[in-house]
Amino acid sequence: MTSKKETIRPARYGMTIDVDRCNGCGACMVACAVENNVPPAHAGANDRKGLTWIRVYKVDNGQDYPGKRSAFVPVLCQQCGSETPCAHVCPQQAVDVDPATGVVGQMPERCLGCRYCMAACPYHARYFNWWDPAWPKGMEKTLNPDVAPRMRGVVEKCNFCYGRWHEARQRAAAMGKPDTEPVDYVPACVEACPTGAIRFGDLNDAKSEVARGAKEPRSFRLLESLGTEPKIYYQSQRDWVREIASAPRPGAEKGNVNG
Amino acid sequence: MGKIWLVAGLAAGLGAGWVAFPYAIYQRRPQPVDFSHKVHAEKAGQKCEDCHSLREDGSFAGIPGLDKCAGCHAAPMGTTVAEKNFIEQYVTPNRQPQWMDYARQPENVWFSHATHVKLGGMKCEACHGDMGSSDGLRVYQQDRISGYSRDIFERPARLVSLRRTGGMKMDDCVDCHRRNAMEQSCLDCHK
Amino acid sequence: MTTTRRDLFKFAGGAAVGALLSPAPWRLITDTALWSENWPGIPRPARGEISAKFTNCTLCPAGCAVKARCVGAQPVSLAGVAGHPMSRGALCPFGIAGHHLPYHPERLRSGPVQRVAEEVARAMAARQTSEYVAVFDPRPGRTASWTYRRALHAIPGGLYIRPAAPWSGAAVNLDAARIVVSFGMPLLDGWGTPGNVVAAREHFRLIQVEAVESRTAAMADLWLPVRPGQERALAAALAGGTAEGTGIAQELVRQVAGELATNGPALVLGPADWPEIAELNRQCGAAGRTIVARRETPVPEAWQPGAAETGWSAVEDGSLRVLLIDEGAGGGDYVPWSTIERKLAPGAAVVAFTGTPEGYARHANYALPVAVYPEAVDDIPAAVDSPVAVFRLSASLVAPPEGLVSATDFVSHLAGIDAAAALRERADAICAAGRGRVFQTASGAVTALKEMKPDDFWKALSEGGCWLDEPDPKAPPPELSTGAAGFTASFAIAETRGAGLVSPLLSKLHEESHLRLGKHEVALHPSSGFRDGDRAALETGCGRILVVVRRDSSVPPGVVQAAAGADLIDLCGAAESARVVRL
Repeated sequence: MTSKKETIRPARYGMTIDVDRCNGCGACMVACAVENNVPPAHAGANDRKGLTWIRVYKVDNGQDYPGKRSAFVPVLCQQCGSETPCAHVCPQQAVDVDPATGVVGQMPERCLGCRYCMAACPYHARYFNWWDPAWPKGMEKTLNPDVAPRMRGVVEKCNFCYGRWHEARQRAAAMGKPDTEPVDYVPACVEACPTGAIRFGDLNDAKSEVARGAKEPRSFRLLESLGTEPKIYYQSQRDWVREIASAPRPGAEKGNVNG
Repeated sequence: MGKIWLVAGLAAGLGAGWVAFPYAIYQRRPQPVDFSHKVHAEKAGQKCEDCHSLREDGSFAGIPGLDKCAGCHAAPMGTTVAEKNFIEQYVTPNRQPQWMDYARQPENVWFSHATHVKLGGMKCEACHGDMGSSDGLRVYQQDRISGYSRDIFERPARLVSLRRTGGMKMDDCVDCHRRNAMEQSCLDCHK
Repeated sequence: MTTTRRDLFKFAGGAAVGALLSPAPWRLITDTALWSENWPGIPRPARGEISAKFTNCTLCPAGCAVKARCVGAQPVSLAGVAGHPMSRGALCPFGIAGHHLPYHPERLRSGPVQRVAEEVARAMAARQTSEYVAVFDPRPGRTASWTYRRALHAIPGGLYIRPAAPWSGAAVNLDAARIVVSFGMPLLDGWGTPGNVVAAREHFRLIQVEAVESRTAAMADLWLPVRPGQERALAAALAGGTAEGTGIAQELVRQVAGELATNGPALVLGPADWPEIAELNRQCGAAGRTIVARRETPVPEAWQPGAAETGWSAVEDGSLRVLLIDEGAGGGDYVPWSTIERKLAPGAAVVAFTGTPEGYARHANYALPVAVYPEAVDDIPAAVDSPVAVFRLSASLVAPPEGLVSATDFVSHLAGIDAAAALRERADAICAAGRGRVFQTASGAVTALKEMKPDDFWKALSEGGCWLDEPDPKAPPPELSTGAAGFTASFAIAETRGAGLVSPLLSKLHEESHLRLGKHEVALHPSSGFRDGDRAALETGCGRILVVVRRDSSVPPGVVQAAAGADLIDLCGAAESARVVRL
């Protein structure tokens, strides 16, 4: 058996999200739930107990009507590249950073539900299964076989649709290729976005759209001062959107973040 | 004097643990049809991949469905009772046999046959044993508590298991990956 | 020798040591852990061969092309088709989870079919000469619509009713526009064909006139926060009147009017029944450029002439003895029940053919269950922003359950006509007309229709393909006439919400986040004094609905914003004003 490590160059998958293009439709949120077998809301679920691996927040410039201007910011796991907070604190080693793709993987089967990672994540991108998943009768036929459903008591989060990564690798393997084509692997939210606000690619590939987009002057990341080196780059021409993303001490920001 | 009791107890414990327990922990269930790989390999000239094929997109077809069998066995091709039963109970009423999968992994495991067979060049026997020369299917042994097949835990046809390896547990996969310098990350094999 | 207790303890001790030296206890620990992982009640996704099937979505007039990822025969996820000339690969949140609708817990599955058939027959026989048998088609333009028109033509006293269509024969060509002024239309949030709007967006300057800072207003190049209720006055001001009282400065209005005149081609969008909108479009020369004439998709000769299309305002009060409502087709306009109710004769039989209990099923005498998307095969008429006629089918991706009825079968049976092959007949008529091109969804190929045989054309359509007409070079510019005025609920501005059934997964947007207003949620300006989550009642002259309040400064003081739903339209459709009362 050959060792293939030399032929696969490590990728760092990331995204650029153009806040100026996002219209807050929510297609990404629904597509993510369809792809990853996330169940519909339990009777007691609200926005603090729900499962929204990607969640679009409505932010505004802090002014009252009619000076108010809003924008929509999809927030998902930022795939922190440095000192990944959730991976650091997990007592079960249920979080694993893949050196080949840069994806921070959550293993719900290993999780014991202490929720330490949820406290550690600065982006509130991790979600706890307060209840067992329940689909209306018959709807369980529409589950995706590439993703395992989770039981209650474990934490789950976005892992860049790793099921699609598996499928792309398998397709490449069937053709004898050790590497996937860039176009083959796209997470569900990226595929679903009707305005093309979310773009995905390999940040290590200088020619890729996201690598070039990340370097643009209007690109910024959420809470950059924390040093988590997230791999999601947000883009906006509007200064007040960038200010909300950098979040100085609480109460100092002029804008508002709403659900 | 009391030593005999100690020794007897020791013997009882060892016997129960090494002999009775491995026998009792597995529930034995026969496969629905007494299928002979040997007959199909020799007489029908079939290789593994004729029935257990890789599809175009790389996914593995697994145990073939009734269509594959009925393609040849719409009418009896031999004289065995097993074939006659198969045609009567499954082909004619168009009922899928409920095969029991010796290698069925938990739901959260992702295993890609395409990667291992095509890219890795592995042979079926390396993990599944020499099925091709078996004349009849082994009894399916299922762990009563966890529900998994015996093949996952250890090599089949052993009453007593002395080694930790030889099955299809995660440890077995990791061992092979480490030996071949293919150690990767968790999500490579989990979903 | 007697056996003492000590001997027994020695035996037990030896046995314990023996057991510990065997694999048994360690294996039991592993097994228990494994057993605990297979949690009961967690479904295991079905496995099988993965394939792609293509269809078109019927949930709204856009009819976006859909690629369904299927495991065996079962669709498990939906996505857009990237190369499609109209939808460009876009799919909205409702369309993305459309494959869940057949399993919706509230979906209607049974109804008194036999009793309804008898009741309708009885009512038809008991009719007075001045009374009608009517079919209300909220989603006109389909082949099914023609089936109703043919049937009602054959039934004496048959009446075909559709929602008002002020711009029949005309469509918007967004590609040609360089400046668009939209009066409250959700241009960037579900209007027309979303993929087409996104593709055209870079080319035009968008000015949104709206009281609420909606999604479209937030993303427009210029938002004019008009005073609620003064939208028509502002439209008149743009045409040359005064801007006083509209909340927008006269200078700004003059500037926008100037842009419309000089930075064209221009387009003004708004409720099509406002004469001010038609006037503005006339002034800026939209006709023939951004508003174009569009022919109807060819129809078999044998079907003509069919019953005339009537609007509700032309129906006499108390004249309907039998009313059959086809609410099964998605994307239809919900007309408030108060408009319909007074047209019914006393003792009229009203039957709603529907998949949801939320619409006309609440008011009709009987509700009969029909197939929902993606169970039924139906055609989708062109959307408002398709400059040419189109023909596309939605395929049946999921087998419908037993016990459903088909509205077209019911009505054609009543009239004694055979419309079982209507879709094929229509496709053949289009093929015979020989113009236009066919986009074949699976391959992305575009073929001229005249190079296709009828069987191949039908096959392409059945696999999610789309026929697009050619523009008619000889067509005169369309008449921008005004139809009858519809309702303007300027106080309760509806936010886009899926009509009828939506997938339970839409809870991600409604309950598990505050991205969109959920059912029975209203948004009020913080100055209203309500807190987030307060329970209240939304009251109008037509009734009241219990709601939950959300504070939102995108909504001006004095305006309540709610998510559209049949019960909300019933409540607010004909009312002049609304109150939100704390409970």
